[in-house]
Amino acid sequence: MLCKPIFSVDIHPDGTKFATGGQGEDSGKVMIWNMAPVLREEDEKNENIPKMLCQMDNHLACVNCVRWSNNGLYLASGGDDKLVMVWRRAAFIGPSTVFGSSSKLANVEQWRCVTILRNHTGDVMDVAWSPHDVWLASCSVDNTIVIWNARKFPEMVTTLRGHTGLVKGLTWDPVGKYIASQADDHSLKVWRTVDWQMEANITKPFSECGGTTHVLRLSWSPDGQYLVSAHAMNNSGPTAQIVERDGWKTNMDFVGHRKAVTVVKFNPKIFKKKQKNGSSPKPSCPYCCCAVGSKDRSLSVWLTSLKRPLVVIHDLFDKSIMDISWTLTGLGMLVCSMDGTVAYLDFSLDELGDPLNEEEKNSIHQNIYGKSLAITSTEAQLSTTIIENPEVLKYQQERQNSAQANSGPGGAAPESSAPKLNSVMNGESLEDIRKNLLKKQVETRTADGRRRITPLCIAQLDTGDFSPALFNSVPILPSGSSMSSQLTPQLSSDSIVYMALGFLIPAFTCLSHYLRSSVKSSLLLTSASKIEPMKALDSRFTERSKATPGVTAAISSTAGLTPLDRPKDGVTAQKEAKTKEETSSDSEDKMAAINKNLTFGKRKPELLLDGGEVVEKRKKGRPRKDKMAASMAQPFTQPSKVVAPPAPVAVLKLPTPSTQKAFSLQVSMEPSVFLEVENEVSMVAGSKLSQLRCSRDGRDWNTLLPSSVVVAAGSSDILAVACEDRMLSVFSSCGRRLLPAIQLGTPASALHCSAHYVMVLTAGATLSVWSVFSYMVRNTTECADFRSCLPSHDTPASSGPLAVMQGRNLNAGRLASRLSSTPHHMQQSMTLAFLENQLASALTLQSAQEYRYWLLIYARFLVNEGSEYRLRELCKELLGPVHKSAATSWEPTTLGLRKRELLREVLPVIGENLRFQRLFTEYQDQLELLRNK
Amino acid sequence: MAKVQVLNVAVLDNPSPFGNPFQFEITFECMEDLPEDLEWKIIYVGSAESEEYDQVLDSVLVGPVPAGRHMFVFQADAPNTGLIPESDAVGVTVVLITCTYRGQEFIRIGYYVNNEYTDPELRENPPLKPDYSQLQRNILASNPRVTRFHINWEGLADKMEDSENVDPSPNISGMFPPSCIPGKMPHLGVMPDNSMDCISTSAM
Repeated sequence: MLCKPIFSVDIHPDGTKFATGGQGEDSGKVMIWNMAPVLREEDEKNENIPKMLCQMDNHLACVNCVRWSNNGLYLASGGDDKLVMVWRRAAFIGPSTVFGSSSKLANVEQWRCVTILRNHTGDVMDVAWSPHDVWLASCSVDNTIVIWNARKFPEMVTTLRGHTGLVKGLTWDPVGKYIASQADDHSLKVWRTVDWQMEANITKPFSECGGTTHVLRLSWSPDGQYLVSAHAMNNSGPTAQIVERDGWKTNMDFVGHRKAVTVVKFNPKIFKKKQKNGSSPKPSCPYCCCAVGSKDRSLSVWLTSLKRPLVVIHDLFDKSIMDISWTLTGLGMLVCSMDGTVAYLDFSLDELGDPLNEEEKNSIHQNIYGKSLAITSTEAQLSTTIIENPEVLKYQQERQNSAQANSGPGGAAPESSAPKLNSVMNGESLEDIRKNLLKKQVETRTADGRRRITPLCIAQLDTGDFSPALFNSVPILPSGSSMSSQLTPQLSSDSIVYMALGFLIPAFTCLSHYLRSSVKSSLLLTSASKIEPMKALDSRFTERSKATPGVTAAISSTAGLTPLDRPKDGVTAQKEAKTKEETSSDSEDKMAAINKNLTFGKRKPELLLDGGEVVEKRKKGRPRKDKMAASMAQPFTQPSKVVAPPAPVAVLKLPTPSTQKAFSLQVSMEPSVFLEVENEVSMVAGSKLSQLRCSRDGRDWNTLLPSSVVVAAGSSDILAVACEDRMLSVFSSCGRRLLPAIQLGTPASALHCSAHYVMVLTAGATLSVWSVFSYMVRNTTECADFRSCLPSHDTPASSGPLAVMQGRNLNAGRLASRLSSTPHHMQQSMTLAFLENQLASALTLQSAQEYRYWLLIYARFLVNEGSEYRLRELCKELLGPVHKSAATSWEPTTLGLRKRELLREVLPVIGENLRFQRLFTEYQDQLELLRNK
Repeated sequence: MAKVQVLNVAVLDNPSPFGNPFQFEITFECMEDLPEDLEWKIIYVGSAESEEYDQVLDSVLVGPVPAGRHMFVFQADAPNTGLIPESDAVGVTVVLITCTYRGQEFIRIGYYVNNEYTDPELRENPPLKPDYSQLQRNILASNPRVTRFHINWEGLADKMEDSENVDPSPNISGMFPPSCIPGKMPHLGVMPDNSMDCISTSAM
């Protein structure tokens, strides 16, 4: 059997389908296949289960690589046509055939090219999504690697230059710090993602290599410790070189293949030894698993804990292995070959060991790198979790439904997802439209007397939606909240698309019937004498008509087109230059934006009522509109209990502690609470971030602050830190920000906490004491000033005082895009800090609606990020004591909102994450108990 | 990548008497708004032997074309029988639907057409001079042959620049449309670069 080579294979993160890329008839081909028939024989035999889900032949030449994004929403493909295409499932379009294709197989799923990335001047050999899909990297025979902004296609982040040969493989470091590339220039290069400069250039193991492999797909181990190259040589023997992250040492390799290694792929799981029955449980070192494919047509699978391969499979294919993909569970593997076939291998736990769960994997990352990849998809394991509470089940189902409504009809059964035949457009079915199309279509004559038909538009395209969804989920819509309207347009436009596209499916079903029932035989049985003219006729199918005016044969040949491409390249280059300018100004903008949001201090003094310099500054007039976002709510928070009168002028100057790079202290013995401060841990877009880490009874939390921490203090209940920028931040014992950052008039001199009181002595000799729980702001200052200098808001959405102060500059989507360039854990901390600040600010401003809005967003964020402690603390605070006691200081309401009602609203959000079903049940039961009382 | 994909062509009124107009219901999808119209043509191949007998039955402009899915019915009159060689009137021939954008053909859809007498008597003993009123046209709708060509979708603007930059001879460029300036593009003949799939002609 003659098959076209398959160059690439990749399994969808949800494990239900996989993509292949390779050579089509006269084009490149990307195909998406159903996984079920591969996994189960009965599904393979079942004719109702489709095998092929979609094929796309839009690539003009061979497809070298297909890769799913980590979130599974996109598929990227790169080919010999120098293009990278990004595909997205087109929702709500039913099955259709590829018109004119001999195989009458319907495309069960519709995947549509949403963006084409053009920059490479040669064949694209490999593409790779960064962890969390922040970037997409592509490498090419033009010797470059291009990093694309995956949140804003087709924006380019940078081009990595340095290879002097064809770049044939890419891999991201699982913690996102590096990207590595391997090329025909006998080198493997590691690049930093911080500044996109080269970190290491490894050449020694590759010096003997010839450029004999089509691809060099290297891979990084899931623990990040090892990088394994494709084709390397050791004593004239082909190997896969192991590169240690620590010092990029190259002391070990995988030996045994008789020809060059084309592809290496690490299993996404980290394993630990399976405990045998009877043997004493010994703590064993976790290990990784790695598959190596070679030109010698064999495949080997290695465990990093074993010196020899776990298994070697010879003669699996007739030709070279081209690509390998593991399932996310780590137990299955697809391998594709030049010979046009794909093999599926599956392993048992006995063979590989026990895979660590995401939490354990994260803790390994945390141990090694001091940070975790908290959001790594836990869906896979959670799907096996038993739902214990019917209510949780309900919310899970709701969530799935809404997810489906967003992502289109899921599942592989086409008939279940296809809408009924009576779908209508403007009250008219497609059938009716088709019947009358000829009569109804608008036909005019042009000035020169030619016929001109206006086609009937039957569907809009649902493409190009790259806006990052905040927290990867449907935005919460608090019923009756004024905020909801700002989110609804997005949803309703989706449903419009659905309305418009829903009726397309019947069109295709009936068309295919139509085609099938039409005559076939009479023509095929024409007499032999007709064969010659038939052949002559055949040539007419493929030749362009000479009668076409304005078209010459010359232009139809591809060679003829090349000279035309040249000036276009020039234009593209210009455009690029422009884009680059824009990008740089954009990043400055981002920088400023982050500063605005994180550096609370800059413009505060002018808003304070005391202090000499302040008066002077206020004279300069109203703050500019765009700075309003910076102001947040802090200027309006004044200590509620000012013990000492405000210092008229800063005559007194108390000593202030100097800033240290890092320090730690124990703030409480029982429970034991340790506080650790590390200043300037990282730079994010020009803003220095400091980290505050707290360990309480072995539980850790940490948060980021926009300025260096000068003094810190804590009690068993609360923690307080004062920063260089004179901001005072107060946190709960679980790390929730309790008050909006408080601007001190002068730098803090001393800080003390006791129970829920915070005392600050400033350099200006002001002593202030805050009680965190009975905290109410008396001093709300004058909001009117600022309101008047802001443009009136035409959207009813942003109507609370908080929104007014922050202006409409501040919306979640923009925030998300600003953060997107930072590593995930930073984004997470920043988002958390931001949300807590919004909450505290809303509380301070007594804006109940906004408080409720941000509370729900906050809860959703905690649910999505899996921060159980904070979530629990939040629930506890909202629930209050179940049994009445006089000693309690718990207020049943906040800003006129009943806390328990709020909890009732928060619970469904919690119920959406199966991981929190116990928490959900616990609080639901208690609420129920209270209601019955 | 082509900006326009033909999703389906339904052959209407088929089979039909030879004199009936051709009707094709064409569904296509466009990736982005097209600034210019598409030009569709129906070409009837009068004889397999020579392109001489090709008849352009009609040509229509289709537009405006915004991004999205569209459909229209392309109707064209039956071929002029006077232009068809008598020996080729009965039997198999081909009808082509082509679409051009900015003067460049990017898709060609071909169907076999069988013209035969419905009357068994006539079928057995066909008259020397074809009787078109008795002929039935049957388009093999189930088997379209689709050929796609790469074209420059960005169109004339580039070509204009190109001709200005490359061609120094104004008297030549004045004589030819900008797309066929001599010497600029090698005449390599027609090379379909994306013929979709080929049915096995040997079976016939």
